[in-house]
Amino acid sequence: MPWGSLNDWPKAIVHVDGDAFFAACEQAVHPEYRGRPVVTGKERGIVSAASYEAKARGISRGVALHDVPKLCPDTIIVPSDYETYSLFSKRMFAIMRRTTPLVEEYSIDEGFADITGLRGPTHSSYETIAQKMQDAICSELGITVSIGLSISKVLAKIGSKYKKPHGFTSIPADAPKPYLEKTPLDNVWGIGPQTAAYAAKLGIATALDFVTRDAVFITTHFAKPQLELWKELRGESVYPIVPEEKSTYTSISKTRTFTPPSHDRAFVFAQLSKNLENACIKARRHGLVTRRITLFLKTQEFQYATTEGTLSRHSAYPHEMMIAIRPLFDACFRNNTPYRATGVVLTDLILDTTIQRSLFELPIKLERLQRIYAAVDTLAEQFGKHVVTLGSSLLAHTQHTTSRGDLPLRKTHRLKGETKRLHLNLPLLLGTVR
Amino acid sequence: MPQTTIQKRLAAIRAFFKENHRMPSYAEMTGLFRVQSKNAVAKIVAALCEQGLLKKDKTGRLLPHRLTSARILGTVEAGFPSPAEEEMADTMSLDDYLIHNHDASFLLKVSGDSMINAGIHQGDLVIVERGRTPKSGDIVVAEIDHEWTMKYYEKRGGKIVLIAANPRYPPFVPKEELAITGVVTGVVRKYI
Repeated sequence: MPWGSLNDWPKAIVHVDGDAFFAACEQAVHPEYRGRPVVTGKERGIVSAASYEAKARGISRGVALHDVPKLCPDTIIVPSDYETYSLFSKRMFAIMRRTTPLVEEYSIDEGFADITGLRGPTHSSYETIAQKMQDAICSELGITVSIGLSISKVLAKIGSKYKKPHGFTSIPADAPKPYLEKTPLDNVWGIGPQTAAYAAKLGIATALDFVTRDAVFITTHFAKPQLELWKELRGESVYPIVPEEKSTYTSISKTRTFTPPSHDRAFVFAQLSKNLENACIKARRHGLVTRRITLFLKTQEFQYATTEGTLSRHSAYPHEMMIAIRPLFDACFRNNTPYRATGVVLTDLILDTTIQRSLFELPIKLERLQRIYAAVDTLAEQFGKHVVTLGSSLLAHTQHTTSRGDLPLRKTHRLKGETKRLHLNLPLLLGTVR
Repeated sequence: MPQTTIQKRLAAIRAFFKENHRMPSYAEMTGLFRVQSKNAVAKIVAALCEQGLLKKDKTGRLLPHRLTSARILGTVEAGFPSPAEEEMADTMSLDDYLIHNHDASFLLKVSGDSMINAGIHQGDLVIVERGRTPKSGDIVVAEIDHEWTMKYYEKRGGKIVLIAANPRYPPFVPKEELAITGVVTGVVRKYI
């Protein structure tokens, strides 16, 4: 075993994981939700996040909302308030950065911090440093997070999952065994159900089973990603902390659920068109273009119809992509079927500096598009997203699908001086004051 | 070019000079001004030269003219010095003035009149800092029976008492452990 061989802490990685994050944010600003089962995602028709009180009653992420009252009739169901969740998220990372600049924002509610070498300057152990981070997040934000501290990212993530909510688990290099023993392999970050099922056939059920096999066994039976996981689990840090905001993407996907479901062809197409525009906005912001577009339609019964098309040239302009999308959509769409979501995925993205023009195209046409979209993006910056949209998206903008009750309070109640687009950058405590 | 932009650009050049003890090249100024091309830089430089804020030599390179000790030169030239960077560094925004720890600060819209004699009215926004340990005399926001309550925090003989700034409300002595959410660090009332 390489554990504990050279140095007790060759690296010190903290994984911070929000506990039922969205629901916890709601409870932090609503005193009337404290200690009660809370579920977010009212506008989506399914549970986005369930508070621990709701989880205890058998409600978990993905449960249909109409099943929630059957499981627990006094559940508070609220629409998602992403503005507030994002403010909490930003703060969580800001608090982590007080300790070290090496912080990776892995997702809205979890992140890694590299605190290697900070024992000396802070005169404290790694456990104390991580615990202080946890205390600051919990006391300043009013939510709880679970912490895993170990010598690699994968081990740290096992730690944060080990005890939840408000857990603190340190997995030092010399004693990972009990933790690995109790972690089923498919609970390891990066191991999917397919790999877990395959590993089970080889007699590997837990992370410990996996890690005690030798390198030869792993390389003969598994691929490179699993070998990397095997090393990480053995305490050999392979995955670095990536402190920058993510700016390179190989794919961009945009999807949106609309309630109530619709079988109106024009409306469903408008939703798709809007998603395409959104995906292109993001691609242009990062200077990326693609030739491959995948689109999917999701029926009310959660069945997917997926197709894919190729453009004659790389692009990030919905104008051009529309030509390819229309026939794909027509091939997928079934009349009299209610749909609940559409989505667009742009794959094989490359930098727009490497666009190769197609042979039979007038260069002037591309230049015109470039000018038009430069103007569209400038307008969006000044007056808000979608001030200029494709005509085909219009129905998705004008026809209100979400009822007022499905909007978070932050969207329906503005403070004096706030506009639709500009809100104060502090979260609002809601509920009554006595 | 608006005045604020001019000041920002001059400040960038000054900072560069302070760090490198030389004037920036046109290529370097694209970075300082956050513009795309050297042509854009040339236009900005020409505009600043025209206003006498910068000077070029015959080859077009910038000269370190009026960059350092701007205040002293200002008096020698018998004009009013422009608002100097050094002075500006000693001011803070209203945000910094009202908010001590931004990451822990929340807004609460006041309903009710329990703090009326402290000058906190219905509809005001109070800034609440979470996680701060209250001292006697602080205004705190606490959570009682699933509602917020805002009161003065007092310690009397080892006991915590919450006192309203309104004689109509009696002092409140919590029986169980009190869940203090945060300390009020400021009040905002916007009229226009």
